[in-house]
Amino acid sequence: MKFTIYQESRVGKRRNNQDRLAHCYSRDALLMVVADGMGGHLHGEVAAQIAVQYLTEAFQREAKPRLTDPFMFLAGSLQNAHRAVQDYALAKRLPEAESPRTTCVACIVQDSVAYWAHAGDSRLYTLREGRVLTKTRDHSTVQSMIDEGHLTAAEAVNHPLRNRIYSCLGGVQNPQLDFSRKTTLQAGDVIALMSDGVWGPLADQQIVAALHGRDVRQAVPRLLDEAERMGGPNCDNLSLVAMAWGENYGEEVTTSVETQSLPFDGHSTQMPEFDHRSLPLPELSDDDIERAIDEIRNAIKKHSK
Amino acid sequence: MSPPQANQPLPPGHQLENYRIERQLSMGGFSIVYLAYDEEDTPVAIKEYLPNSLALRSAGDVLPTISEEHRATFRHGMKCFFEEGRALAHLSHPNVVRVLNFFRANETVYMVMQYERGRTLQEHIQKHRGEIKETFIRNVFVRLLNGLREVHTHKLLHLDIKPANIYLRIDGNPVLLDFGAARQALGGEGPNLKPMYTPGYAAPEQYKAPDQLGPWTDIYAVGASMYACLGGTVPQPAIDRLEKDRFEPAAKKWAGKYSPQLLETIDWCLDLDHHERPLSVFALQKALTERQPAVNESTWIDTLGQRLRGLIKK
Repeated sequence: MKFTIYQESRVGKRRNNQDRLAHCYSRDALLMVVADGMGGHLHGEVAAQIAVQYLTEAFQREAKPRLTDPFMFLAGSLQNAHRAVQDYALAKRLPEAESPRTTCVACIVQDSVAYWAHAGDSRLYTLREGRVLTKTRDHSTVQSMIDEGHLTAAEAVNHPLRNRIYSCLGGVQNPQLDFSRKTTLQAGDVIALMSDGVWGPLADQQIVAALHGRDVRQAVPRLLDEAERMGGPNCDNLSLVAMAWGENYGEEVTTSVETQSLPFDGHSTQMPEFDHRSLPLPELSDDDIERAIDEIRNAIKKHSK
Repeated sequence: MSPPQANQPLPPGHQLENYRIERQLSMGGFSIVYLAYDEEDTPVAIKEYLPNSLALRSAGDVLPTISEEHRATFRHGMKCFFEEGRALAHLSHPNVVRVLNFFRANETVYMVMQYERGRTLQEHIQKHRGEIKETFIRNVFVRLLNGLREVHTHKLLHLDIKPANIYLRIDGNPVLLDFGAARQALGGEGPNLKPMYTPGYAAPEQYKAPDQLGPWTDIYAVGASMYACLGGTVPQPAIDRLEKDRFEPAAKKWAGKYSPQLLETIDWCLDLDHHERPLSVFALQKALTERQPAVNESTWIDTLGQRLRGLIKK
């Protein structure tokens, strides 16, 4: 597997960060997950932490180095993560109103095929050739209203119910999990998982523009900057993990993860740094630089009175 | 182990040649822009070439670390920075950002530009989404086009016009910023420097026919920027329009809210066929300064004319 991946989570303008995210890979499989916790006090944070931890641990147990069935893995581990959050609430004797809950979106890539599942309004986008190829459908009240034609997408942006979701991990009800289709990836495709703090203030086009064809290591922080700026004084927590599949990018984007170098049953949640391909470039000498600067300075002098 | 770090800006108070750094204004993948003061305490914007992936400055350092294997690429990328400087140095116009100085320090290069208080048109649109008046649009763009005419007169193309690159001074006078893409007009940069486009603002020929770039390419982006003023939405990206055109003409979408003549002018700029767009900035300026006709005969004749043109295209 060859890919470039980058993740970042920010608190935004909130007191604490209830978002959690992770990625993890073996030689043949990659897991990415984002969870956005809800609930009184710090319980949301705990719910998100439990979910993400549960998924990464399950992945490390089962991806040796392949998962037998990625969809079964997602179904099983998300369901179990849901129970783990419930168990925590029970153990703490938390009243229902305070019960820790979390959204969750998780994605597996194996054999160049992506599989994902989600509950709630944390989203997964796949981008191809500068367009949104797929986007998860939020389990939110406003999304249902849009689907039923009661609301336009533009009206939903500031709708008072925009944060209400009807499926999550934890809580009394069993989560409704939506599963993707098996999606074969092409080199250059980008998969991005994000909490609503990221997609909320942004148009899809901004997400595409920021991530497509760019080095995710720079694009992710920049997109978060943009979302944070647009999010304004109440900016929600922001979490984003983006993965660019394959290679054949411009030379700036050559630091990628090569999983062939991992031991057969090894895992990594780190990002090994690889050397930039050294392409033969015409060398710009010190003299060339000085000449260019002189030329520019002369032009400035000539054109300013 | 840890994710790659972002570059650290020079600290406030740092003396860079004759300039005192005040604070960082923005950081992109290729550069950092600072607000600084010169010896006369005049504020300036200083752009520092510092591509994230090739040069890393850690907290507390002034010199970036550039490893031996990145050195050639780092220097090669400097060329784009020079092209931008060259392009701007030849322009002296109130509606185009002025470059004041260019120098080498800290193993990299710096471009000093005029700094003025104000905000970008992008920020203005975000603040006033859906409430931007027709006179504002006409006034801003007619003046901006004065600057763009100057750019085109020098046989340069901007190629990345968008509301984020249009700065509004406090007095409302617009300034065209960020000529980082302008180099492409000069050609011959080789395959290593990928052209940049901003979806929604980039014209179809920027994706499909780079040999057909011309003033009409910037005109498409101007049209898209005006379109963005109407309701805060960007037109469907040209690359998608080529496949399945779901572009909603301004004349249809905003009918009744703005004069048909303005809306038709915007749609005119956004024609996928560059031959059908205004041929020059001057032609577009003329359309924007045309007094909005009252509802009378000439209006429907104009409209009819435009409809006919629309029909002929189909």
